[in-house]
Amino acid sequence: MIVRRLVVVPFAICGLAIIGWVLLSPSLTRSQGTGVDVMVNIRAQGGQKLNIAIPTFAATGADPEGLARRVPEIIGRDLTFSNLFTVVTGGSPLPARDPAALKKNLADFAGAGAHAALQGLLSIKGDQAEVEVRLYDLTSADQRVIASTKWSAKMTNQRRLAHRIADDVVLQFTGERGVADTKIAFVGKSDKIKEIYMMDYDGEELVRLTTTQSTNLFPVWNPDSRSIAFTSYMRGYPFLYRLFPFERRPFQLLAGWPGINSSPAWNPDGKSLLVTLSKDGNPELYLVPVGGTAARRLTTHWGIDTDPSWSPTGREIAFVSERAGSPQVFVMDAEGANVRRVTYEGSYNTQPRWAPKGEMLAYTSRQGVFDIWAVSADGSGPRRLTAGQGNNQSPSWAPNGRHLVVASNRNGRWQLVTMLADGSAQTLLPTGSIEATSPSWSPRLP
Amino acid sequence: MVRRWQCLTIIPVLGLALFLVGCPKRPATTTAAAPPPSTSPQVTAPAPSAGTGPSGPVTSTPSPTPARTPSPAPQVATPTPPPAPSEFVAVPGLRDVHFDFDKSDIRAGDAKILEANAQWLKDNSRNLLLVEGHADERGTNEYNLALGERRAKSAMNYLVSLGVAANRITIISYGEERPFCAEHNENCWAKNRRAHFLTKRQ
Repeated sequence: MIVRRLVVVPFAICGLAIIGWVLLSPSLTRSQGTGVDVMVNIRAQGGQKLNIAIPTFAATGADPEGLARRVPEIIGRDLTFSNLFTVVTGGSPLPARDPAALKKNLADFAGAGAHAALQGLLSIKGDQAEVEVRLYDLTSADQRVIASTKWSAKMTNQRRLAHRIADDVVLQFTGERGVADTKIAFVGKSDKIKEIYMMDYDGEELVRLTTTQSTNLFPVWNPDSRSIAFTSYMRGYPFLYRLFPFERRPFQLLAGWPGINSSPAWNPDGKSLLVTLSKDGNPELYLVPVGGTAARRLTTHWGIDTDPSWSPTGREIAFVSERAGSPQVFVMDAEGANVRRVTYEGSYNTQPRWAPKGEMLAYTSRQGVFDIWAVSADGSGPRRLTAGQGNNQSPSWAPNGRHLVVASNRNGRWQLVTMLADGSAQTLLPTGSIEATSPSWSPRLP
Repeated sequence: MVRRWQCLTIIPVLGLALFLVGCPKRPATTTAAAPPPSTSPQVTAPAPSAGTGPSGPVTSTPSPTPARTPSPAPQVATPTPPPAPSEFVAVPGLRDVHFDFDKSDIRAGDAKILEANAQWLKDNSRNLLLVEGHADERGTNEYNLALGERRAKSAMNYLVSLGVAANRITIISYGEERPFCAEHNENCWAKNRRAHFLTKRQ
């Protein structure tokens, strides 16, 4: 993994062009959504996961970088991460031009317990990789093809190619795309300087997005996944900016009021943000439109109001207030009315993050140490997701609501950890010498 | 069937062997295995200077073409921006005050410090004041930034109540980002929960 450092000028030209806009132009032919039926049937029979075989792809012509093996391995890791599949990779490619041999191979897979198989036909022309993938339903008598899709990508985008194929496999079996083709932005501390970084959801392809030599905080992805709002001291005071991680564009100032301009939360429409401002004397929540001058105040209280999160519909807002005497999570209507308290256990509950689906919030609670909890938006059923593993903070949801990424100092330093929404399957995301906090899981990339 | 499959996944090599048994006439095709992706990131590439072409190895033919319209000029109101924090310096006549955990009110014992600070400001009437608000490392960053702001504001209000002109004072919160003391214990945390005073001659 390589960190590509980009753009040194503090804030003059700080937009970054990092991963070029890719690459992937799938053309596909599909039968009906039969994959979903396969998954439903397996679960009806008591199976928790779908067994999928992903043998090495068949390469026609040269394959100098070993994509025929590497791409299926990445797909396999993505599908394993999804927690929906049990994956076996490797082995000889499925025969590309011998239907009888193919049928026998697939029958052997089925005999070994596979419910599905993914076949890949790879050809490389110059710096362009083309892959045709076929997904077979091995629970059907005729080993029917669930989907056949052609993909093409620059060689340099091979990881993204694999992620996109994996997400499409998840789509075939669940009706919703997977989340492998996503990024995680976070605050990375190196030499006591906090800059904004970005990496693939699996910790690969780490890049630094800011080089301000100042403190940078609270990165949050725009719902269109093309920009990231963040608070920075690059001009001395904590102002709110956004950066464009995939474009050569300068930082854009979003809020530069006297006092703090912090804790951004994008409206689901991506055109305005909730921000904590103290310009009127006390940290309160304001709605700030991108490119506008007005800031509409939503809270009025003598205590701190901060740390907002939109409901996925944009109709409600979760936030932190000390109006009850200690920091607690509250929910209010989008206009600021109808405030009701959500958390009651403990004297420090912050960082509410509304799940992408359903009426659920993840949040951080201090009960001795800090841990991640989840609670229904009406305050019912608070439950602990992390325990006995140091401090855990700053939950951020994957776009499908099935995974969370959090910051944890369980190993003595701050690192990122992914987990399923119930707190299981906790997995460390290595960031080397960089201490990582404040993760933000991107929406699916365009 | 399911049991056998799980056996495969627990020992992937066995699964691989089974695949191979399943097609004994196929020669092993891929001998050049891809290197496993490195798990420890390293900073290698030098930073390209801003203004050169697109950076990094990926220069793609964009299929989803991103909007390349220039960003509009910031229209965010910044009325009479105060001097940069870096222009302010510490002086012996201005001393820190400290706060209880999660609190921003001035402790009784610290009132004397603020009175002395106010006197210094009256004696140095051409000086501006920057009040930094800080939190200890415990707690979450978003809330601590707000808490630091409250502490700075609390100290400022006290000085104003003692007759210091509000327009001489600027406040800034650093939350937990600039600890005075780096150890992870209450002795250190107590020192970090503070309002710090810096000044600049007008």
